Amino acid sequence: MTTLISPALEIPRPARSVVVARRTFAGVLRGEWIKLLSLRSTWWTLGSSVAVMTLIALASAQSLGAMADDVAAAGGLAQLHGATIVSGGAQIGVVAIAVLGALLITGEYSTGMIRSTLAAVPTRLPVLVAKAIALVALTTGITAVSLTLSYLVTRPMLSRHGLVPAFGDVQTWQVFGGTAFFLVAAALFALGVGTIVRSTAAAVTVALTVLLLLPGLLQLIRLDWVQTLVSYLPLPAAGSFLNLGDAASLGGSQLSPGAGLLVIAAYAVVPLVVGGLVLRRRDA
Amino acid sequence: MIEAHQLTKRYGDKLAVDHVDFTIAPGSVTGFLGPNGAGKSTTMRMIVGLDRPTSGTVTVNGKPYAQHRSPLGEVGALLDAKAVHSGRSARSHLRTMAATHGISGKRVDDVIDMTGLAGVAGKRVGGFSLGMGQRLGIASAMLGDPQTLILDEPVNGLDPEGVQWVRQLVRLLASEGRTVFLSSHLMSEMAQTADQLLVIGRGRIIAAGPVQEVIDSVIGATVRVRSPRLGELADLLAGDGVTLTPGDDGAIDLQGITPAQIGDTAAAHGIPLHELSSHKASLEEAYMNLTQDAVEYRSDVTAALLKGANR
Repeated sequence: MTTLISPALEIPRPARSVVVARRTFAGVLRGEWIKLLSLRSTWWTLGSSVAVMTLIALASAQSLGAMADDVAAAGGLAQLHGATIVSGGAQIGVVAIAVLGALLITGEYSTGMIRSTLAAVPTRLPVLVAKAIALVALTTGITAVSLTLSYLVTRPMLSRHGLVPAFGDVQTWQVFGGTAFFLVAAALFALGVGTIVRSTAAAVTVALTVLLLLPGLLQLIRLDWVQTLVSYLPLPAAGSFLNLGDAASLGGSQLSPGAGLLVIAAYAVVPLVVGGLVLRRRDA
Repeated sequence: MIEAHQLTKRYGDKLAVDHVDFTIAPGSVTGFLGPNGAGKSTTMRMIVGLDRPTSGTVTVNGKPYAQHRSPLGEVGALLDAKAVHSGRSARSHLRTMAATHGISGKRVDDVIDMTGLAGVAGKRVGGFSLGMGQRLGIASAMLGDPQTLILDEPVNGLDPEGVQWVRQLVRLLASEGRTVFLSSHLMSEMAQTADQLLVIGRGRIIAAGPVQEVIDSVIGATVRVRSPRLGELADLLAGDGVTLTPGDDGAIDLQGITPAQIGDTAAAHGIPLHELSSHKASLEEAYMNLTQDAVEYRSDVTAALLKGANR
């Protein structure tokens, strides 16, 4: 018998992993969802957007009394739809929503988390898609919560003027649905811009300038082509299907509701596509 | 197994990694040694697909990293201790990473225990010390129980106990047949941890092989001799392949000759010896010799100090 066993010379076999690890899109989506909910900044932006939207709806509902007393404005009151009062806070709530969308990606760049993220998902694009889906879900949810709260707190004042939006009214749902669509698009716009510029300050500045400031600034330039341009900016374009009082008075709203929807959709999609392209190509 | 073939990375007009070839074998710890700015981190980032090579290829276990179905199960990487969102707790960070690969919550707890983070797992990472950040980085690298580990400066910021722990961990992982590739600019650390060395300077591989071989290839063993009749002895010892270097205090250093040969020669001619000492080059000396021409950022500390003193 010359069986020689020499374990010392044996090349160690590769250790068989006991951990089940397989990357799936569902997993990437879950990871992004956990990321969103495990940050305090998410809860702060969500809380403030709900608070702002509800308070503004409440304030404008309270001003209805003053409008009714004012002879000049009383005529306008009759043409108001209650739903636009309930959703009136969206124009300011969009600030918090845009910050949330931008932070979702720029927060990763500023802290270095992006390297961990892209090492786990080296194909990269699923990360951006998952972020977008998580953001759509969260923004839709938060819009629903805000509108519900706004409806409840404005109801007593609205009923005094016979303006409580009826749930059987198509226009009610057009305004509520349009508000959610506008806010979701704004969040995605900020996410796309954030992916391109990678810095929180730059992304928030660009997003808020385009979303809020430009219509007011360009309003002052009374040139036809500038005014046409204004009607394609997010807020006036959204006014075409939201019939938000202020947006309509901004002079935009020359678009049909259908065209307005498409323009808003483009604001959501185009930066995301560009962001996806540069995310794939760039060194992290 | 990590294989690089003509791997190159150019930033602007600067070649960070310059046509590098290497193979990192499983079952051993390979040290990636080089001064700051030599291209270590860039090389490691290219291995896990964070940076795109300008040209050339690098594969992990036969495939580019991005093509693996379970990247975290193939390679665990610690590339930057702070590649973590500072607003998230350590446990949440690990859970987000684990979720992408469907790794269980139990495994998350396991790596937290393994890295000694149990006491701080619920705390936000922003308040972590460098050492705790390193432990969290190693915990994320271990999540998928990978075959290959890439650790960039893993002992940076660790206390002596932590350094000891990393050494034992990488030795254990290599003994299980895994590939361990770790970088450092500390040569002493490599001497105690690595089996194989890959030395890089200015983006080029300067030396590669088993630790002792690399050292010997750079500096052979030196023998120091001191004698009252040194000149006479030096003449006798001079010969093929022997180099003599006068020491600063009347001794001479010889290379290419053994202490026994010197002692025999001295005895045969009745020359008294006051010192005959063998001196093995340390990794530090080998490293300095290897990289003295390849240091990217050199500061003339002495000159600066003198200037300051003269003011």
